[in-house]
Amino acid sequence: MSLSQLMLGPNVVLCNAASQTYPSCNTFTHALSFFNKIEGSQATARQTAELLRSVISQQRVPYTNQAGALIDAVKAIGEQLIAANPVELAVGNIVRRVLHIIREEDLSLTTAAIGGLNLSAVSDDENDDDRDGDSTLSAAAVAAAARSTLRPPSLQTLLEDTPVSAAVPQTSSSGAADKSSRSRKLKHDVIEAVNELIQDIVTCHEQIAEQAVEHIHQNEVILTLGSSRTVLEFLFAAKEKKRSFRVFVAEGAPRYQGHLLAKELVARGLQTTLITDSAVFAMISRVNMVIVGAHAVMANGGVIAPVGMNLVALAAQKHAVPFVVLAGSHKLCPLYPHNPEVLLNELRSPSELLDFGEFSDCMDFGSGSGSPLLHVVNPAFDYVPPKLVSLFITDAGGHNPSYMYRLIADYYSADDLVVQRRATAGN
Amino acid sequence: MQFDDQGRVNKSKKRAVFNQPEAKNRVELFRHLPQYEHGSQLTDLESKFLELDSMHPAVYKVGVQYLAGDVTGGNARCIAMLRAFQEVINDYSTPPGKTLVRDLTAKISSYVSFLIECRPLSMSMGNAIRFQKSRIAKLPLTLSETEAKAALCNDIDRFINEKIILADKVIVRHAATKVRDGDVLLTYGSSCVVEMILLYAHELGKQFRVVVVDSRPKHEGQALLRRLLAKGLSCTYTHINAVSYIMHEVTRVFLGASSVLSNGTTYSRVGTACVAMVAHAFRVPVLICCEAYKFHERVQLDSICSNELGDSNDIARVPGRPDVNSMDNRTNEKNLQFLNLMYDATPSEYVSMIITDYGMIPPTSVPVIVREYRREYLLI
Repeated sequence: MSLSQLMLGPNVVLCNAASQTYPSCNTFTHALSFFNKIEGSQATARQTAELLRSVISQQRVPYTNQAGALIDAVKAIGEQLIAANPVELAVGNIVRRVLHIIREEDLSLTTAAIGGLNLSAVSDDENDDDRDGDSTLSAAAVAAAARSTLRPPSLQTLLEDTPVSAAVPQTSSSGAADKSSRSRKLKHDVIEAVNELIQDIVTCHEQIAEQAVEHIHQNEVILTLGSSRTVLEFLFAAKEKKRSFRVFVAEGAPRYQGHLLAKELVARGLQTTLITDSAVFAMISRVNMVIVGAHAVMANGGVIAPVGMNLVALAAQKHAVPFVVLAGSHKLCPLYPHNPEVLLNELRSPSELLDFGEFSDCMDFGSGSGSPLLHVVNPAFDYVPPKLVSLFITDAGGHNPSYMYRLIADYYSADDLVVQRRATAGN
Repeated sequence: MQFDDQGRVNKSKKRAVFNQPEAKNRVELFRHLPQYEHGSQLTDLESKFLELDSMHPAVYKVGVQYLAGDVTGGNARCIAMLRAFQEVINDYSTPPGKTLVRDLTAKISSYVSFLIECRPLSMSMGNAIRFQKSRIAKLPLTLSETEAKAALCNDIDRFINEKIILADKVIVRHAATKVRDGDVLLTYGSSCVVEMILLYAHELGKQFRVVVVDSRPKHEGQALLRRLLAKGLSCTYTHINAVSYIMHEVTRVFLGASSVLSNGTTYSRVGTACVAMVAHAFRVPVLICCEAYKFHERVQLDSICSNELGDSNDIARVPGRPDVNSMDNRTNEKNLQFLNLMYDATPSEYVSMIITDYGMIPPTSVPVIVREYRREYLLI
């Protein structure tokens, strides 16, 4: 590791280390620009998906167990991407989505293939000589197919375990053509599905905004905190449909993104009032609905959101104001939040709160007893428990927080919760 | 409090000492409250210094201090006003053909309207003025002018001493018993009573940490933070959005109040209600420290019917953030309003206890104190 690499930071070191195992350079210039410049979970999700797509298309797959090879490749890259930025949960979500896609595509291909083989075995029943050969062919082929789809081992696969290499030459003559076409088909299907995923990520705002008219009525008063592009599009869509409503925007210290949101809303002709975060409790009694965006949605229906959101959610619960969270499906994370305030949070620089010059003597670790008198706490995220959320609006429709675990079964596989490459040799 | 009534507004403008242009973009919900453009008020008032011969210079000085924001906090404002009235009374001489009682009361009323123009009265000031006027009205007619003036000044001294200074000492003694070793105490903004409590408990040798929560636009917590650090207390500083993050390590919350109303609602700096709500959600006891002279028989359910609106430019402009400040020239945009609330109302269910100079009481006992003890200080 050279000095310049050390100065550039851990992300670069990880990417360079990985490039020794994966010699495709363009993948890694991609990844480099990734963490330094991209902000926002939608952009991050999209870049991750595109990166994984290029990894899949460049990956050479062996004849047997193609899906396993693809999965390993994706897991290797995914592990590093997640480690480089663990707080950006969208990265892990997309990695797991792609892994699930690979497993699903492989499963559907194999069911089709097994269906085909069974048919061929039945049709050759009259011919005795062929039948013996075909039945062994079918048994070995089924075993190999079962192994390649990474299903949990059945008695059949365990019994057929040893003669894998013996079985292959037997079947290779007739099956080679099938296998190579099957592997090409797998990659092709997977890449098509990943393209659909990218398309979903890109159009998630439109799909959520389409539901705006169902939730916003005339003369409504809406409260939001900070700035979220999803919320912006949602409100614009309602405005397009000629609903008149007013918006209270809480500025969202210390990033003050509420100011930017207010500017955009005013530019579109919406009546906006900008308030400080301390005035949220005072104003919420006159608000009909709270609509906010999220950074991530966890498996229990809890929300990781910009700091200050728990305050708004508690105030909304006290005044029985519906608290609506808008989130694209790439924000849905299959993990359960254990101690989210600490583990899924990021502490930002104290200079956003205090002028360093004025308090530098108190914050110095070198003075006095060795521990500073003053600590400054500036978390970036807040956790909102599911009981405070009234509704999630995703691109797949509106849901209760108690339903989110079910969506996870659609998008993710249970095997992928921990994205780690299997530590077996000869992969 | 009726600024949506155009007739009254015009009348008060005629009597006004200095010009106050109304804000162009007024928030609809707050049409009943005054909203002024704050930019030119101070210079306008300062330019009128030599023209105001009906205004006593001490009162003028206090008015300028209020407008400039040099004197803030219920106690400080009340003491400044009463000291100015003391000077007024000392310099007063009854004009021929008028009685002391009526003329002095009229003068005090005109000074009070001037102070209201500079900055709306806080409840503590309102109570003090009522006390003052009742003392003037109760003067026995047999007293000569000098004796009457001496008696009134004496009353003011006693009021300040008993109701504010000694009351604070009693509150500090009571509250220090609620601080144990190993506590993490949270406070919001800057309250003089809470500061005294923390410093006294520190002097007693108790080991505790302080969390100072602050918010825009005034960042009052920073001044408190500086004073606490100077005395060697170990502090954590954060902003109000992060209060959910920090609340799980907090053991007690000490808050100050501008007033406590008869339905148990605490009327104090905006953001106090948010802090109290989060503390309640985390089951942390909330203690309000408030002198009894600030109690009021009014009742209020929300923060909108009665409040004070500050300068909207304070919201539009974020100091030190040029990327956000491109909003500055947009204060005249028709669709955009800035709301700078000064106070909010904390419901009584969030408050565990109120520490006053009459002892430590639950919020439900406030109307009892207002009723039973209000008569007492009027009779001294």
